[in-house]
Amino acid sequence: MSRKARGRLFVGAMVLCLAVSFGTLGWLLVTTFVDGIPGLTSKLFTAPPSTQPDEAGARPAILATVYIAALLLLMAVPIGVATAIYLEEYAHKERWYNRLLELNIQNLAAVPAIVYGILGLAFVVRGPFGIGRVLLAGAIILTLVVLPTVIISSREAIRAVPESISQGGLALGATKWQVIWRQILPAAIPGIATGSILALSRAVGETAPLLLIGALQYVAFDPTVLGPFTALPVQIYTWIKLPDPEFQALAAAAIIVLLAIVLTMNAVAIFLRNRFRQNW
Amino acid sequence: MRVEYQERLHLLESSLQEQGTLCLRAIRGAVDALTTQDLELCDEVIAFDDEIDDRYHRIEKMVEETLALETPVAGDLRLVLAVLHNSIHLERIGDQSVTIAKLTKLSAKFEPHHELVEGLREMGDRCEEMLRVALDSFAERNVERARSLVELDELIDRTNHRVTDKVLEMAATPGQQEWGMRMIIVSRCLERIGDNAVDIGEQTVFLATGEFREFVDASH
Amino acid sequence: MDQEQQPDTHARLAPGAPSIDSSRIAEVSLGTARADLERREQVFHVGDLSVAYGGKLALDGVSLDIYGNTVTAFIGPSGCGKSTFIRCFNRMNDLIVGAGVEGVVQYHGKDLYAKDVDPVEVRRRIGMVFQKPNPFPKSIYDNVAFGPRVLGQKKGLADVVESCLRRAALWDEVKDRLEDGALGLSGGQQQRLCIARALATSPDVLLMDEPASALDPIATAAIEDLMHDLKREYTIIVVTHNMQQAARVADMTAFFSVNIHEDGKGRHGILVEYDATTKIFTQPADKRTEDYVTGRFG
Repeated sequence: MSRKARGRLFVGAMVLCLAVSFGTLGWLLVTTFVDGIPGLTSKLFTAPPSTQPDEAGARPAILATVYIAALLLLMAVPIGVATAIYLEEYAHKERWYNRLLELNIQNLAAVPAIVYGILGLAFVVRGPFGIGRVLLAGAIILTLVVLPTVIISSREAIRAVPESISQGGLALGATKWQVIWRQILPAAIPGIATGSILALSRAVGETAPLLLIGALQYVAFDPTVLGPFTALPVQIYTWIKLPDPEFQALAAAAIIVLLAIVLTMNAVAIFLRNRFRQNW
Repeated sequence: MRVEYQERLHLLESSLQEQGTLCLRAIRGAVDALTTQDLELCDEVIAFDDEIDDRYHRIEKMVEETLALETPVAGDLRLVLAVLHNSIHLERIGDQSVTIAKLTKLSAKFEPHHELVEGLREMGDRCEEMLRVALDSFAERNVERARSLVELDELIDRTNHRVTDKVLEMAATPGQQEWGMRMIIVSRCLERIGDNAVDIGEQTVFLATGEFREFVDASH
Repeated sequence: MDQEQQPDTHARLAPGAPSIDSSRIAEVSLGTARADLERREQVFHVGDLSVAYGGKLALDGVSLDIYGNTVTAFIGPSGCGKSTFIRCFNRMNDLIVGAGVEGVVQYHGKDLYAKDVDPVEVRRRIGMVFQKPNPFPKSIYDNVAFGPRVLGQKKGLADVVESCLRRAALWDEVKDRLEDGALGLSGGQQQRLCIARALATSPDVLLMDEPASALDPIATAAIEDLMHDLKREYTIIVVTHNMQQAARVADMTAFFSVNIHEDGKGRHGILVEYDATTKIFTQPADKRTEDYVTGRFG
């Protein structure tokens, strides 16, 4: 086969792969939208679930998802960034415990979320912390799920800041911490923000660990942080199980809402990345 | 840009002009001492040559440092080289003036021949004028003026021949032979001063055009 | 001749003082004798200094003194340890893991490496400019103000910024756009900004590690002119791989070379000759120096 023909064949194979993936995705989205658009009413956002489909809404679930996202932000980002700073700036890379830490973070990022659910059930819901089947427990577990990803992406962002910047800062008589706080972190924020938001948007869609620790399937009241709860993915799961086709439609509508939340978060991440990108 | 370097070059050139001024004084002193038979003035001229030599050595050191430290190129390099050459020519002029003064002292016991002395004084005036023209044309980078030195040199050469002829005439008269021979050497010294002034003019043309060409063939 | 009729014969030949003031020659000439420089204040004293990275010797047995208000250049082939050496003066080698410094480095008579000396304070008093200009990704104003700010200064920053930018010969070019990003400046301007930034902590020494090697000739000339100006107030040490630059700007020059170990493996840097720049470039004492400056090295 001639070189040109081989090249064209390769391009063709790539286009085929693209078509398959986009095609599948597109088909999924289209069917969801077709099923779900009728259900997108204000009732979806304001009414609690009900056995009557025409009265049911997803308000508690939506609120809970929002609360969880906020809690994740407050917990995962500071812990993750602090860990990343320690590993990049303070840890002696040769020491065995630091190398162990490095290895483990890579592994933890790959662990299935349900394993974190089991961990949470044992230690957070029951066990030493014993706070019960509450929203906070769900947030804590999801924090653990996303923490490795936040750490890894924050490390990348910190590493991307050229060493010449920190050398320059130190040569001016700044302490190490001053250089980190005033130069490195500000320059790394776009990368950190992007990584964190992408991690969060994945967590928002996690269902298995929440189910495991007892997210209720029927919650008619607004959630509180230390109270029983449900979440949007769980609500979707609940509705889909019901035989009534109207509930299926509601589930589709809820899926659209979930997608909208995730896509918005991703859009914010991309916007931040483009707006504040540093050309070194 | 390169402010200190520019200052160095200015300093080199003004040091050269200063050395030239000293040479003018030396020529004037030597010629006056000759025409007025002033032996104290002769001693002054001889002692004064130390100043001229000192300027020459300082310029030479400055040129060495400038070449080593500043690596001048193009016009700047030609300037540094021209200054070095001219400083040597000026040092020679100083030496010629010393020779004239020494010969004046040696011939003090003889009776001078006034017409001859008058001729020598004329040559001396011409030498002083030539050196002035040479120094000024160098400062102005004036090529035409530098070339005019050739004509002035002609006058000196002609006077030199007249002196030689006159001395040959005097050869018959006893007592005047020794004095006459010494005056030929004086005349030769003045003629050499003229040649050195022409050489300074040639350096002006080299500096301005980048070409070095002798004005006149040396065989005359 | 009647003495009263003529003026003094000296006056006839050499009226008045010579038109050139000889002290001016000494002032302009970079050929200041080493003896004159040694009479100035001794800012640094280095005694038998060695530096090793992770046990491997990089620099050995260096001893010299740096004098106040001079420009001292370190020249030599690559690998001779001149960058390692200059970083000893502001303890930047401390930041490299496994770096060990032995010997004496004294700053105004005090041991720089004493246990009670704070490296952060050292770096405030001994500023550094790097080879590749490294302005912070902030505004021009914030770049220069960074040093004073981290030291706790809150008021009077605008004056400090202006004064330093003036001293770095950058004020006129940026005075109307201090809030603009520093990364938008040209390479030469960025380097002058880094110099202004280093001056903002009121150091008395400025270390420059190949400050002009990343710049074009015009920007390089601007930096060299700046060094001439700055040495009136500061003591400057500059590492350069460009010999002619050392010849143009430095009062004293130190030539470093490489010693290859007997077993053929490993090499370290040594100081070969340290003298007035004029001497190094007209009459070097050591043949190795002569070979290097005439380009016969290697």
